Amino acid sequence: MKLWQKIFLSSLFLIIAAVNIISVTILNNSHRLLLEREQTHAISEHEFFEASFSNAVVYAKLADEKIALTPNDIRRIASDVVEGSGRTRDSAVFDSEGTLIAVNGMDDVLSRITQSGFIEKIDSSGDNYSASVYETGGAHKLAVGSAITTEGMSYRVVTAVDISEIYAMKKKQTDFVRKVSVISAGAISLVLLVTVLLMLNPLSRLNVYTKAIAGGNYRIRIRERGSLEFRELAQNMNIMAEAVQTNAARLEKIAEDRQTFIANLSHEMKTPLTSILGFADILRIKRQVSDSERAEYAGVIVEETKRLRSLSGKLMGIVAMNGTEMEKKPVSLQAMINETKTALVPLLAKNDVQLECLSQDITISADEELFKSLLYNIIENAVKASPKGESVVLNAAMYQGDAVITITDHGIGMTPEVMKKAFEPFFMADKSRSRKAGGAGLGLALCQKIASLHSAKIEIDSHPNEGTTVFITIPREECL
Amino acid sequence: MINILIIEDDENIAKMITAALSMVDYKGTCRYDGRSGAEEAMKGGYDLILLDIMLPEMNGFEVMEAIKGCGTPVIFLTAMQEVSDKVKGLRLGAEDYIVKPFEALELLARIDVVLRRSNKTQDTITYGDITVNIDRHEITLKGQHVQLTPKEFDVIVYFLQHQNIAVSREQLLSSVWGFEFGGESRTVDIHVQQVRRKLGLKDCLITIPKLGYRLESRDSL
Repeated sequence: MKLWQKIFLSSLFLIIAAVNIISVTILNNSHRLLLEREQTHAISEHEFFEASFSNAVVYAKLADEKIALTPNDIRRIASDVVEGSGRTRDSAVFDSEGTLIAVNGMDDVLSRITQSGFIEKIDSSGDNYSASVYETGGAHKLAVGSAITTEGMSYRVVTAVDISEIYAMKKKQTDFVRKVSVISAGAISLVLLVTVLLMLNPLSRLNVYTKAIAGGNYRIRIRERGSLEFRELAQNMNIMAEAVQTNAARLEKIAEDRQTFIANLSHEMKTPLTSILGFADILRIKRQVSDSERAEYAGVIVEETKRLRSLSGKLMGIVAMNGTEMEKKPVSLQAMINETKTALVPLLAKNDVQLECLSQDITISADEELFKSLLYNIIENAVKASPKGESVVLNAAMYQGDAVITITDHGIGMTPEVMKKAFEPFFMADKSRSRKAGGAGLGLALCQKIASLHSAKIEIDSHPNEGTTVFITIPREECL
Repeated sequence: MINILIIEDDENIAKMITAALSMVDYKGTCRYDGRSGAEEAMKGGYDLILLDIMLPEMNGFEVMEAIKGCGTPVIFLTAMQEVSDKVKGLRLGAEDYIVKPFEALELLARIDVVLRRSNKTQDTITYGDITVNIDRHEITLKGQHVQLTPKEFDVIVYFLQHQNIAVSREQLLSSVWGFEFGGESRTVDIHVQQVRRKLGLKDCLITIPKLGYRLESRDSL
C-alpha cells in the first residue's frame, strides 16, 4: 500500500471512530439523564399512590370503626384505590405470597413483571423503591415497586408509567447522528485526500529527481521548497548529487588519463620495437649484408633497445612508487645535492656544461633515493637544454620558513603551451631531440610524483631562448 | 623501378623501411612530418605511400584527406590497436594498414598486394631461361610451356619477387595459401620440390636450415 493511502485511510478511520464514539456517548448520557428524571417523577407518583392506599386503609378503619381489618377488607380497599387512580396510572397490588389482589391497566407488563421476579426483589422493609424498565409491544414502561406493611400483613405495590417517548427520542437522535456522520465522513475524506496528496507531493517530485540521478543525469538539482522536512531532504539530496557529480567527473578524468597514458605508453613501446623487429628481420633474411649496413642496422637496434630500457626503468619507477612505502628520514639537502652532482659528472662532461651549487645547511625529512632521483631528473633536463659551455645554477635556501631549491639554466626555454603540458606523461617538447638523448617523456611526471609524496611543489618559470628556472618548494612541516 | 614515399616521424623506422624496400629493389623516399609528406605526395611520381598516423604538423588522417586527389595508393602504419582507427583509415581511402611492430617481409607482402592491385608490378619476370607472365598465368622454360598447378605457380612467382631473401615456410603459407589456411609446412615442402623439379632450379632455390628457402638471384650465381 502506498504511503498516501496509508496516511489517508488511518486518519479517516481515526476521525470517524472519534466522532462516532463522542456522539454515542453524548446520546447515551442525555438518555440516561432523561431516564433518571422520569424515574424520580415515577417514584413521587408511586409515593402518592402508596399514601392514598395507606390513607384508604386508615379511612376504612375509622369508617367501619374496626380495630383490625381482614385481608378481604384490604383486598377490597386495594381494588378501590387501584381503580380510583383511574386511567392515568397503571398500578397493581400483591399480597405477601405474591398473589395479585388488585390491578388497573398494566396489560402485558404485568406478566413480564411477575415472570422477571421483580416482585420478589422488592425490599420488604419498605425503605427502598425498586425500579425497572420493561418493553412490551413497542412501548417502554417504567415499573416502580415497594412494600407496605399494614394490619400486620406485608403488601407489594407496583406502579408503572409509559416512557416510550424517551426511547423514541433516542432512536430519532441516533438516526440523525448516523446520517450526519455518513455525510461528514464523505466530506472529511475528500478534504483529507486533497491535503494528504498536497503534503506528499514533494515526495513524488523527489522520486522523479532521484530516478533521473540514478539514470546518470548528475547535473540536475531539485528546488528546495515545501515543508521543512522536504526542504531538508531536498537540500541533502542536492548535496549528494553534487558529491556524486564531482566524484563521477573525477573518476572519468582518472579513466581518461589512464587511457591516454596507456595509449601513449603503447605508442612509445611500439616505435622502438618496430625499428628493432624490422632491422633484426632484415639482418636475418637478407642474403648479403655489407659491413656498413650491418653496423648501421645493429646500431639502430642497440639505440632503440636503450630507449626501451630507459622507458621501462622510468615506468618501473612510477609503478614502484605507487606500491611501496617510502622511507622518510632526516637527510641533509647539501649532502644529497653533492651526491647527485657526482652522479651527473659524466653527463656534464659530455654536454660541456658546468653545475654550480649553492646550498644552506638544511635538513629535511625525505626518502633519500627518491629525492636524489628528483634532483637528478631536473638537473638532467637543465643540462640537456643548455648550450655547450653554459652553466646550470642550483640554489637551496630557506625562504619564508619553507625550503626552496631553484635550478636555473640559460638554455632553450619553453613556450607557455609547452610549460602547461610539461608534467604530462610522455609529453616531449621536441620528440626527435629528446629521443636521440634517450628520453621517454616521463622524467617530469616522475618528479611530480616524488614531489607530491614529499608534499613538495614543483613550479616552472621559463621563457623561450632565455632559459628555465625550476622551483622545488618543500613545506616547513618537512623541514627539520 | 618502384618508388615509394615513406611519411614517418621516427627516423629509425623510416630508415628500416627504406632498407627493407631496398631488398626487393624498391626505392624509398622519406619525409618526417605530415605537412612536408603531403607536399611531397602531391608532387607525384610515387607508386605507393606508406603513411604513419601519429605525425607532427598534420596527422596521418589529415594527410590522407589532403592527398586524396593524387590517386596514389596508401598503406597506413599504425601503433594503435583500436579497430575504429583502422576503419577510419580505410574509409578515408587507404588500401591497407599494417600494425606496428611488423616484420620486413610482412610489409613487403602487403606492398606487393597493393601494387599488384594497382597494376604497378611487372607483368613479366625473367629469370635466366624462365619467363613468367603473371597476368596470363603462363610460365616458359627455354621457350617451352611448363605445366604448373595454380599453387605451384604462386610459389614460384613469390620467390621471383623476393629474390635473395630467405623466406620461411610460414611466410609462404600465409602469402600463397592465405592466413586462414591451417595447412602444415609439409605442404610447402612438396610444392617447392615440384617447382624445383619442373623448372630445374635445384641449385638456385636452396634450402636454408631452420629458416626456409631462398631463390638466389641470377647475377649472384
